[in-house]
Amino acid sequence: MSFIDPLYAVFLATGFTVGFGHCVGMCGPIVVSLSLNLKGRNLYLPHLLYNAGRVITYTLLGGIMGATGSFSMVAHNIAGIQQGALIFAGIMIIIMALAMSGWLPLGKIFGDYYNPKGFVVRGFQKLSRIDSVTAYFPVGLLLGLLPCGPVYTALLAAAGAGMNAPTTLEGIIKGMIVMFCFGIGTVPTLFLIAKLVDMGWLKNRQIIYRIGTVLMLMVGVYFVYQGLMF
Amino acid sequence: MRREIHAGSTIFTFACLLVVTALSVNTVSAGVSAINCQAHDGKCSLPLGEETVTLEIMPRPVTAMQDSTFTVTLSGKTPVQAPYLDLGMPAMKMGPNRIQLKPAGNGVYKGKGVIVRCKSGRRTWFANVVVPGAGEAKFVFDVVY
Repeated sequence: MSFIDPLYAVFLATGFTVGFGHCVGMCGPIVVSLSLNLKGRNLYLPHLLYNAGRVITYTLLGGIMGATGSFSMVAHNIAGIQQGALIFAGIMIIIMALAMSGWLPLGKIFGDYYNPKGFVVRGFQKLSRIDSVTAYFPVGLLLGLLPCGPVYTALLAAAGAGMNAPTTLEGIIKGMIVMFCFGIGTVPTLFLIAKLVDMGWLKNRQIIYRIGTVLMLMVGVYFVYQGLMF
Repeated sequence: MRREIHAGSTIFTFACLLVVTALSVNTVSAGVSAINCQAHDGKCSLPLGEETVTLEIMPRPVTAMQDSTFTVTLSGKTPVQAPYLDLGMPAMKMGPNRIQLKPAGNGVYKGKGVIVRCKSGRRTWFANVVVPGAGEAKFVFDVVY
């Protein structure tokens, strides 16, 4: 049983190259939103956790593809979950944008019923202000489910590796490695984007926040629209 | 000076993301290969040197995210190796999606594959048929999502 396959290197390189061409447009806005949400705090650990979550989701999906050897069957079954992830991502970006700009005054929205410890208010606050660094990990896990062309292509290769493997176990492992390599390949680009919008050095961040708010609102609405049309 | 560079890079990143996102919203992209194959209607043929390459994708209409059968027919002499085809989008890198074709006799080669879906909503794809020793024929067509 050999687990060395040139496919791994191919998809590591693919992750890296499509990262610059594709992920910048698709996952970039999410990374920018998460970075802005940090408001100048250290970004390395949160983004490491976000990317770890994303890569773990890819790896698990690769294992499922490798086990079944059928891309279309699995893709059909997870389409609804992916649609939900897309809509969730859009809503999260919109709420983060509104909260960052101060355009989401929870006290005014909930009026006399505003209760900072209430369930709804806490939910909004959790979405709009991820205070705990560890929260970036489940966000990454969930957003790893976002539908994306190159991810589908890598999953297709994972399913192919599973189909050609002599045993189911080998298929699972090969599928997981293909997707792990692909995911790792995409990390440098997303870290670079996170670093570029890092504003720990900047004293007056208001202009950046305003530009970021408008961009995030546009992208958030677009994500929700795409999710509804998916 | 350092702050100015950082400010520039931050604004540049925002601008780039805005442009990339705007481009991904626009489903009609400029500078993209023109459609030369009505794959939904039936077979398409392109010249390759003095020979002809014919591509047929089944089932029709050609739909993303489902198993499709790609049939390539070559006129003329048998190539040194079986042809293969690479699927991709003219407007966006989608990663390697290669389908190895197997000989089915009389210059016909068949293979199964999947055209994946792009979140941007773009529907134009290409199948680049590579015939070892003879060259390539690029079929550009629309798919259904």
